[in-house]
Parts: sequence; C-alpha cells; structure tokens
Amino acid sequence: MTLVAYELRLLLRSRMAVLALLLVALLSIAAVAAGMAEVTRQRDVIARIQPQQAQDIASIAAWVDKSKDAGSAAYYSFHATWDAPAPLAFAALGLRDVAPYILRIRALGLEAQLYDGEAFNPELALPGRFDFAFVLVYLTPLFVIALFHDLVSGEREAGRLRMLDAIAGSGRHLWARRVLLRGGLLFLALAVPLAIGAILSQVPGVTLLAVLGMVVLYLAFWISVTLLIARLRWSSVANAATLAGLWLVLTLILPTVAHVAINQAIPVGQGVELTLAQREAVNRAWDIPREDTMRAFYAHHPEWRDSPPLTAAFHYKWYLAFHQVGDESVAGKVAAYRRGIEARDAAAHSVGWLLPPVGVQTLLARLAETDMQAQLAYQDRIRHFHKRLRNFYYGYLFTDTPFGKADFEKAPKFRG
Amino acid sequence: MSAVTLIARDELRLMRRNRVAVVAFALLVLLTLAAALISWSHQQSITQTRARFQAQAAKEFETQPDRHPHRMVHFGNFVFRPLGLLAAFDPGVDAFTGNSMFLEGHRQNSANFGDVRQSSMLVRFGQLTPAFVLQVIAPLLLIFLGYGAVARERERGTLRQMLVQGVSARAVVMGKLLALGVVAALVGLPAMIAFLLIAGQPGALAGPMLVIALGYAAYLALWAIIVILMSALARRGRDALLALLALWVVLVILLPRIAPDVAAQAHALPTRLETDIAIARDLHKLGDSHNPDDPFFKAFKEKTLRQYGVTRVEDLPVNYSGLLAMEGEKLTSGLFDDYADRSFAIQAAQTRLNDGFGIISPAIALKRLSMAAAGTDLTGHRRFMTQAEAYRYDMVQRLNRLQAEAVSYANDTAKDAGADRRKRISAGHWETIPQFQFKPARAADLVKASLPGLGLLLAWLVIAALALLPVARHLQKARP
Repeated sequence: MTLVAYELRLLLRSRMAVLALLLVALLSIAAVAAGMAEVTRQRDVIARIQPQQAQDIASIAAWVDKSKDAGSAAYYSFHATWDAPAPLAFAALGLRDVAPYILRIRALGLEAQLYDGEAFNPELALPGRFDFAFVLVYLTPLFVIALFHDLVSGEREAGRLRMLDAIAGSGRHLWARRVLLRGGLLFLALAVPLAIGAILSQVPGVTLLAVLGMVVLYLAFWISVTLLIARLRWSSVANAATLAGLWLVLTLILPTVAHVAINQAIPVGQGVELTLAQREAVNRAWDIPREDTMRAFYAHHPEWRDSPPLTAAFHYKWYLAFHQVGDESVAGKVAAYRRGIEARDAAAHSVGWLLPPVGVQTLLARLAETDMQAQLAYQDRIRHFHKRLRNFYYGYLFTDTPFGKADFEKAPKFRG
Repeated sequence: MSAVTLIARDELRLMRRNRVAVVAFALLVLLTLAAALISWSHQQSITQTRARFQAQAAKEFETQPDRHPHRMVHFGNFVFRPLGLLAAFDPGVDAFTGNSMFLEGHRQNSANFGDVRQSSMLVRFGQLTPAFVLQVIAPLLLIFLGYGAVARERERGTLRQMLVQGVSARAVVMGKLLALGVVAALVGLPAMIAFLLIAGQPGALAGPMLVIALGYAAYLALWAIIVILMSALARRGRDALLALLALWVVLVILLPRIAPDVAAQAHALPTRLETDIAIARDLHKLGDSHNPDDPFFKAFKEKTLRQYGVTRVEDLPVNYSGLLAMEGEKLTSGLFDDYADRSFAIQAAQTRLNDGFGIISPAIALKRLSMAAAGTDLTGHRRFMTQAEAYRYDMVQRLNRLQAEAVSYANDTAKDAGADRRKRISAGHWETIPQFQFKPARAADLVKASLPGLGLLLAWLVIAALALLPVARHLQKARP
C-alpha cells in the first residue's frame, strides 16, 4: 500500500501526467454534460410537441365534426410518433442527430411518409458529435499513449532502468504497479463523470457495468499496444511516433476504408426506388376499375369484405384501400431495402471485432440505443402504430359509421 | 549556394535516409491516390444513379395516362440533386443531406435518402476523400517528419556549432522550413494531380479550383511553419512532438466537433412537425377554401367575377376550381417559402457561429473554404432546395392552369357516373410540363463564398510567419 502511495506521489510530481489526467477528466465531464444537455433538449422537444399536436387535432375535429366524415378525419389527421432517447443515449448520441426522432404520420400510404427527414443543419452533423463515445474512442488512446509511451524508455533515457531492474524481486511488480496505477487513474477520470451522468439519467446498473467493463477493456487494449511497442526498446520519441501512427490507422484510416468497402460489397437498392414504385402503384388506382383495387384489398383484409359496395360517388374507403394496396405492392422492395441496411450494419459490427475503436463505438451506440438497429426499431414501432391507425379508421369507413368530435379521442395513441 | 538551401538540402537528405519517414510518406501518397480514386468513382456512380432516377421519374411523369390535372398535382414529381465535379475532391455534406425530393401540391417534402441513413455507423468515422486526407492526415505526417528539425540540432549541440561558424539562426530556421515546405508540397502533389485530372473534365470550374489549391497550399504551409516553430521553441524533441500532437488533436479533431455543439445549442432549430403545424395554423388563419362563406375566398371570388365581368362562376370562360387551386397554391407556397427562409436563416446563423471557430482552428477555416468552393456546403444544398421548390411551384401552377383552361367547371363539379371520364384531359398535356433542370452555382459565387475561409487561413499564415522572427532571434541569443 505504501509502495502504491509512493508511486502515486511520484506520478503526481510529473506535470505532464497530472495535466493529462486532469484533461481526460475535464473532457469526460464536458462530453457527459454536452450529451446530457442534448438528450434533455430532445426530451423537451418531444414534450413540447404534444400540446401543439393536440391543438392541431382539435382544430381538425371541430371542422370534421360538421360532416362527421371518417374519411376526412383519416385524411387530415396527422398523428405524432416519437423515439424518446434511452437512458444511456447521452453517452453515445449515434444517429440521433441525423435521423428523425419525431415523425408525423397519417393513415395513408406509409412508405411515402416513413423516410421523411427532420430539419437539421448537415454542416453541424458532418464532423460528428462531441459525446462520451468520442472522448473514449478517439481521445483516450492518445492519453494512454502520452502516459505510457515512455514508461520504460523514459527510465532508460534517464539512466535509472538498470537500477530499477536490479531491485531484487520487485522488478516485475514495479512495472505492474506503475501500469495499474496509471491505468486506474485514467479509468477513474473517464468513469466517474460517466457514472454520475448514468446515475442521474437512471441507466440500469447492468448497462452501466457493461459500459464500464468496455472502458476497462478498451484501456487495456491500448495499454497493451503501448507496452508491446515499448518491448521493441526504441526511444521514447520513436515510441510516441509509432503509437500515434497506429492510432491514426486504427481510428481514422481503417474505419473509413472499411466504410467504403462495406458500401461497395453490399449494395443497397436505393430507397428512392421503392418510393417511386409505391407512388406508381398508388396513383395507378385512379386509372383502373375501382373494383379491382377493392378485390386486391379484400384479399388481404377479408374482415372488411362485407362492407357495402361502392357507388359512383367518391368514397374514402376506396382511397385508403388503394393506399394500403400501394404499400403492400412494394413490400418485397421494402424488405430488400431493409435487409441491405441490416447487412451493412452487421458488417460494421464484424469490423468491430478487428478494430477495437469501431467495436467500442458500435457497442456503445447499441447499449445507448442510438444506432441503426434502434432506428429500424423505431420504424417498426411506427409501422405497428400505422397499422392500428388504419384499422381504427377502417372501422368507421367500411361500416359507414359517422365520425364525430368524440371519436377523435378514441384514435390510437402512440406509445413512445 | 546559400546557407538556407544548404541546410534545407541537408535536412531533406536526412529525411530520405530515415526509413520510417519514407515509408510514412509513401503510405500517405498511396492513401491520397486511393482516396482520389474511390472518391472519383463514387462521384461518378452517384451522378449516374441520380441521372438514371431523374430520367425514370421524368418518363413516368410524361407517360401517365389521361387524368384530371389535379391528380397529377398529387402524382407529383421526383427531382434529384446532381453532384458537381468538385464533389469528387470534397463531397462535403452530400452524404448527410437527402439527395432526392418528392414534389407535390400543397406540401413541402424533405430531401430524403441521404447516405448516412442507408449506411452503417462507420460513415461517422469520416469519409475517405482527398480533402479528408489533406485536412486531417497530411498535417500529422508533417509533424512526424519535422518535429525534430530544430530541436534535434539543439539537443545534439550541432546548433551551437552552426551558430559559432557564423550561420545565422534565421538561416537555420528558414532552411528547415524550406525542407519541410518541400515535403508539404510533395504531400499535396498527388491530390493536386488528381485535381488537374478533374480539371480536364468538361464543366470543371477554374476559379473555385484555384481557390481550393491555394487554400490547401496555405494550410500545409501553415502546418510546416507551426511544426518548425514548435521544434525551435521546445526544449527537447519529444516535448515538441507531444506538444504538436496535442495541438493537432485540438485543432483538427476536437474543435471541429465542439463548435457544432455550441452552434446547435445557441441557435435552436424548430422541428418539422412544429413547422408543419404552424403552417397549417397560418393557412387556417388566411382562409378556408372549403367554406363557401369564408371572407378571404369570398373576396377572391368577387374579384374574379369582376375581372371577367360576369355574375356567376358558372359563366366564367375558365374553370373556377382551377383558379381557386392556383390561388390556394400561391398562399401555401408563400408560407412554405417563409418558413423555409426562417429555417435556413437559423441554420445560416449556426454555420456562421461554427465558422467563427475558424479563428482558433485553421482546420475549420479550411473546411469552410473547401466545401464552399466545391459547392458541397449548406449553401449548395439550399441552392438545390430553393430550385426544387421553385420548380414544384411552377409545375403545380401549370397543372392548375390546365385545370382552369382544359377542364370545364360543369364537368369538374359534376358528380354523376360519367363525370370522372369527362374530367380527364389528354395525356399529351403532361409533356408540356418542363422537366427539372438543376442550375449549378456560378464559379464567381463559389469563389466569393470561399473567400472568408481563405482570408482566415491567410491571416493564420501571416501571423505564424511573423512569429518565426522572434523565435529566430531567441535562438540566436540562446547561443551560450
């Protein structure tokens, strides 16, 4: 214990070491604070839209109530959906800055609505966000390099190495102690702000432990790399240069190369194709006999088959039916598009096994539920909600039930 | 041969003998060439894909059958943003903005299907482009090659020898700088060669290319000066290296990430949902075209009747429904433009604040210059959005005019069984609607937009160069 205390005093006397540790702590605190501010802002936005949404529906209700037309209600009512950030989202904001976390949909064709983007400034998204994941994945290795690159070579250059090695029996312990001490302090500088942020955000204990475990492993990886380089017995400067080069290759160059390779290897049929096809299918309905559309619709939805036949007049049930038939006609394309994106995502995860920076980034975003899978899960929730919406309005339209002000209250509510 | 060139030659010879340096340099050159090739082929395939989609969308529009014109207003059209040639060098925000837009009546759709939402998370690690290599990686190579240039001489005592022999400290510093400058030029060369190949393409803009070349040259020269400065100031080589690495991390990696956060928090952008609701509310305030007694539309009706000198809409020589559709579109589009302007004003304020960080980070200044000159920045995206909206408005109004002139009011309002057939107009009309033609930015505008970034970079360069003078004096005096 006293030996550790002695080592600690020795370490703290090095101005650079103290500065590095303080800087890591500061960056970690700043990243956690920035992440939490962003997540709070997103929660506020989600909370803020609810009354506006209610007001919007109320004004439509007042107007539709005069005609009691369920079709107008379905056509004009937009329903809000949202993707509330998970507790850990503050640590890795992932795709939440470029993919919408609020989307308004109505009971018409979903494929024309699902891919709408949120208003955001692309120039701000371009460099990526300043969050804990960034501090951990990009910056921490640099501090590991700063603290460890001259652990042995520094002593050699100062002429103390032979003496230290000669201390009977304690040689190995000495290095282990120094490595653990420096690594431990680095871990604390990262983990304490993160843990405080996690507790404030009510992150489940298991998740927090998993993240902390990942921090330990990532630190261990970079410390091992520096120690391996140190075994080559180069000078401190050569160590630092080599390690910085390695960092550059592992965190910047190889991931960008992997990105290019994945996108080349797994072509994703452009999403545009399916929206073009869906539009074509939806609009064709105006030109073919309406009975054809209804037949196609009833084939998949026999529960409405007993609805009275169409007359010459326009009926919204036909309008909504051809929207749904349009969606169904591109189901294959939708599945293929999704499979492509999932395959790319899976490939990135595999790359993570080879490149620890990629692995940590993808895992952290997974735990924080801010990655591509979380985006797709949100789309699934929207799909599910949209299905309930359609069925709700069909209940009125296909039975010609009047739709009054009170019925707006009965519409399905999105559960965030 | 002067002392300066002698020292420079000596330094270059030393670098050539340093195996690690040669390997690192070769790797960087390879990386630049690979990036240029990948980026070029990516740009070509994007251009082809978008052109193909644009042609498909145009064909689908023109081959629609006989219809009521209002059906075509909702059939709408797709437009795709073409990518300029310089995007092969710096694609800027292209992957982050959607590149296709669906245009229909009474609605303003977002640009969808940006790469970032169709790729894995790896896209956030950066994109392998010549701009990325030069902005991020090239300075690092200069640091590794040059951190010891002056510090080494001092550590080994050779600096003192040189000074004693009558070589001025200024000559030493200038010689080392010259050597590193040559390396910097070599580092930038592959990208510039790729650049010239692009210049051979028809449609390449000379002015913006010149600004880009100038900007990157200034940026690399700036780093060469910073490296030599630090090498002359630091007590030991390793201190110089660590200080330079720290500086690189802060200027190139950290600040470009922090600046957007500050900008986003300072200027909050309303969400699409709020904008849509606000537009709907404003429209409601303007008037309700479904309500026959609405004051606004009643006034419009009276004005129209007066204009044609009739007393009933049935007597109008044109279809009143079509006129009403045109008026409605005019109102909604006015609001769309209004709200889009507000959104872009906020985004422009964000961008300005972000760019302000260029005062403390040359990497941010260079990024601004590079994207602005390549036409791949937010302004470039807005250019597309504005033109798409103008096209949408024109297309919808042409269709509404067709409704007013080619569909009779009696047929349009009829509800009998055959009415649907009589409302339709011949498919030949769809070909009279012109197709979307994206007008790329003029070279002069791109150059103008990139000047602030260039100005910042040149200011950095001048200040850094001036800082060399006292450092050289300090070295001279340090002669013990």
